[in-house]
Amino acid sequence: MSSSPHHSSAFSRRDALRTSAAATAALLSGCSPARKSLDYPKTRIPLPEEAMAMFRRYPDFFEFSSPDRLPANLPWQNGQDVPELGDPEAKKGGTYFYYNPDFPRTLRFLGPDASGAFRSYILDSNALALAAQHPDNAQWYPQLATHWAFSPDGRTVYFKLDPDARFSDGVPVRADDYFFCFYFMRCDYTADLWYQDFYTTKYSKITKFDDLTIAITVPETKPDVLYRAISVRPVPVHFYRDLAEDWESHYQWQFEPTTGAYEVRPENVDKGRSVTLTKVPGWWAADKKHHRFRFNVDRISIRVVRDQGKAFELFRKGEIDVFNMRLADYWYRKLPDSDQRVTSGCIHKATFYNEIPRPTWAVLINRSRPLLDNKDIRQGIQFALNWDLAIAEMFKGDGERMQTCSDGYSMVSFPDIKARPFSIPEAEAAFARAGFSKRGPDGVLTNDKGQRLSFTLTTGYKPYTDLFVILKNEALKAGLGLNLEIIEMTAAWKKMDEKKHDLGFGAKNVSVEMYPRFWENFHSANAYKEDGSIKTDTNNETQTAIPALDALISAYDKAETMDEIVRLAREIVAILHDDAAFIPAFVQPYYRVAHWRWLRWPAGFNVRSSRDWEEFHVYWVDPAIKDETRRALDAGSAAFPPSVRTFEQFRLKPSPSS
Amino acid sequence: MPLSPITIKRFRRFRSIRRGWWSLLLLAAILVASLFAELWVSNRALFVRHNGQSSFPSYGSIIPGSSFGLDYAYETNYRDLKASFSNSGSGTVILPLIPWSPGESDFRKGLNHPSPPDWSNRHLLGTDPTGRDVFARMVYGFRNVIVFAIAYTALTFIVGIAIGCTMGYFGGKTDLIGLRLVEIWETIPFLYMVMISISLVPAETGTAWRILCLLVIMVLFDFTSKAMQMRAVTMREKSRDYVAAAQLIGARTPRMIFSHILPNTISVLVTYLPFSIAAGISSLTVLDFLNFGLPKPTPSWGELLEIGLDHKESWWIVTSAFGALVIVLLLVTFIGEAVREAFDPRRHTIYR
Repeated sequence: MSSSPHHSSAFSRRDALRTSAAATAALLSGCSPARKSLDYPKTRIPLPEEAMAMFRRYPDFFEFSSPDRLPANLPWQNGQDVPELGDPEAKKGGTYFYYNPDFPRTLRFLGPDASGAFRSYILDSNALALAAQHPDNAQWYPQLATHWAFSPDGRTVYFKLDPDARFSDGVPVRADDYFFCFYFMRCDYTADLWYQDFYTTKYSKITKFDDLTIAITVPETKPDVLYRAISVRPVPVHFYRDLAEDWESHYQWQFEPTTGAYEVRPENVDKGRSVTLTKVPGWWAADKKHHRFRFNVDRISIRVVRDQGKAFELFRKGEIDVFNMRLADYWYRKLPDSDQRVTSGCIHKATFYNEIPRPTWAVLINRSRPLLDNKDIRQGIQFALNWDLAIAEMFKGDGERMQTCSDGYSMVSFPDIKARPFSIPEAEAAFARAGFSKRGPDGVLTNDKGQRLSFTLTTGYKPYTDLFVILKNEALKAGLGLNLEIIEMTAAWKKMDEKKHDLGFGAKNVSVEMYPRFWENFHSANAYKEDGSIKTDTNNETQTAIPALDALISAYDKAETMDEIVRLAREIVAILHDDAAFIPAFVQPYYRVAHWRWLRWPAGFNVRSSRDWEEFHVYWVDPAIKDETRRALDAGSAAFPPSVRTFEQFRLKPSPSS
Repeated sequence: MPLSPITIKRFRRFRSIRRGWWSLLLLAAILVASLFAELWVSNRALFVRHNGQSSFPSYGSIIPGSSFGLDYAYETNYRDLKASFSNSGSGTVILPLIPWSPGESDFRKGLNHPSPPDWSNRHLLGTDPTGRDVFARMVYGFRNVIVFAIAYTALTFIVGIAIGCTMGYFGGKTDLIGLRLVEIWETIPFLYMVMISISLVPAETGTAWRILCLLVIMVLFDFTSKAMQMRAVTMREKSRDYVAAAQLIGARTPRMIFSHILPNTISVLVTYLPFSIAAGISSLTVLDFLNFGLPKPTPSWGELLEIGLDHKESWWIVTSAFGALVIVLLLVTFIGEAVREAFDPRRHTIYR
């Protein structure tokens, strides 16, 4: 039996998939060395009056209790029997060099521009949570809490905080920081509707028994209640005492003290050029069981390199340590196994099959556009796109077709639904049902009114230009005209968020969760406003609005057992498949990298549900090997054992295609 | 209209400069060949004979495969048709020399793109990463860029001459204000302005309109040098005696400008013509290279250069694009030199 690995969450809404670390783990914790004494009363920071006012206003939500009201005989768990992560051989120290195509526009975790690709370095794969799920076996291990327990009705989780837990500025993590999280997410200053809603409706209560004991309650029983509970992160009260109207600009370049291993110090921010994260001195969790072999390097240096080709050159020179070889072009042509640096063993190549919910690479049909509101046309378009050929050419056989809008959840699968294959007769039949049966002079179908069956495909994913060209040429065979609009990434997403596209191509990152989300992408509340006008800036780019589907999604969001969730999810996906506005594109069930030999990983390379090589920080840099390699390169005598490896221990058997 | 003796003299002089003359002939030949590219670089057959009927698919509407007894309604694949006819002997297909269209990918088994030049596949200059024929893209890319450059040059000249002539002829406040405006306009960096302006064109604009916008924007930011030159020569011409004489016998302004000033000034501007075309070619190529030019997947040299630099290991892409660019710019420059030489006023004047 395998269960879904999940350890992250609600922090990240949607960020367009970037080339590198687009991890979405949302974790938190605090930190400082092995002092066991409780110095809480001395360093305690008074909560701002506005926060207190909110707590008083919602007494049912914010409960200040006392230790003696903590239920007795709670079945406490501590996760100490869960296996460790990382490799005991890992060397500590050194610097890990990598690049990012953009300089982060802010160091905030919330507010405008806060969900860029850089966020995973400073928050998602850095900060610790109350507890975390082991990425290999989905068991829970402790992070900021040492113990946790469930109430008999399964809606409340009790936590005992680790007295050692410190923020990076040395201030201990206490119950107030969790209370403050709700204030921070819900207050008028940070006003972000999505977060406000999430932290208002997805939780029903937070209780403080003492400074080190809290409980978090959710409105309905859920299979993943612990997952929901640990999404509440401690927000340092002392750091946000200046929270006011101007908080966005005030905190733009201030790094929120973290519970994680790495912090950003002001002197390590070189605006526009690089950001270097440094290990928190005496990090509180450094010797904890599940963390002691991770977070190995002392510094993570991320420089800005806007051009991928230039970054690759830097990698070849050894100025950055690792390169994402996702594109077949890089893997087979720019750095083939026969390259001298690979054969001499200086650069290693590794392919790692992971198991995660797949990013939703897809063509999204805007149902609110003329002609595209016709289901026959949408189904025809599905049959008219030759993904098999495009994937074969683009990925040189290393990609697979995505089958549904929610692939990769091991507990929620859709065995009966397969994406529609390329089929000219089926496409022509579907278009004919919609009245398009006559070919125009350029081969594009027309109807009796003289309308052409031609649409614009909008996207910002320039590296996939070849793929779009193939789709365009093949679609013409089925009588479908496609105009390619390959524009700048931000502009493309903006157009799709404004629902002005016909067809849009892209991917949204998906949190590693137990079961998929549908409300954001397919509920009519995210397609139209109450007055019937189009609602912009939502994730429902297909403008899906089907009453029966809405009802199912609402029931799904309230479902309390896994069986019910699976049953409803299957019904939902079947409706979406029939509606045909979401065209599943491709899945790459692995990631692959080329890396210099001094960058090391454990024997199995990485953990099962890792999205990329960095996310769980199990790598390390071996300075002796780095010296040795550099010297050998300088002397022109580099000859080490070459290493081109594939790690398939977590590879799923491809589902038989129908 | 009889040519004036001086024009004939200039033309003879131009012909006598061999390098320029041959460059012009060569460029004209390439231009004409590219204008009829469908006849020698295309996946459409030149001639098909099937069931006693002849067809000439090169131009016009697509001919669906079903017309030749094939089982599909999309455009006939004439290469396959030729193969099947030669097997069955049921018809004749004559293919162009290079049987590939610029937008078409070669997905036959066993080819790994980009693939190197190979005459047996008729990929004269290999393929690009999408499997498209580089030579076909070069030919159609040349047609696009040269047509664009000619249109660009024509427009720049018309606008530049109109404004420059107005300023030079009327002088006074018109000249003063116009001059200041042109000076301000000239300080705006051309390429940046074009890039910024073109990114402001709404994304849903169609391809043809986008190209037109690009053209207008480029002209808008590049007519000033022509205007300034025109202004100078107009002023010089205006002060000549024959102009005063014409004014004395009562010629009106339009007659003055169109019959007297323009014919005598334009010859000066003609010498700039080839260089302006060269500038048009390079500007469009640069913009394409930077992704601000023609919308993809229009064949373009800038795009080829970009792809080539991304795939340096596939040397044939960047070499072809770069080589072609160098050759064409060189030809244009040779022509320009010869024109300048032929139109050199010192050769046709008695004032030595």
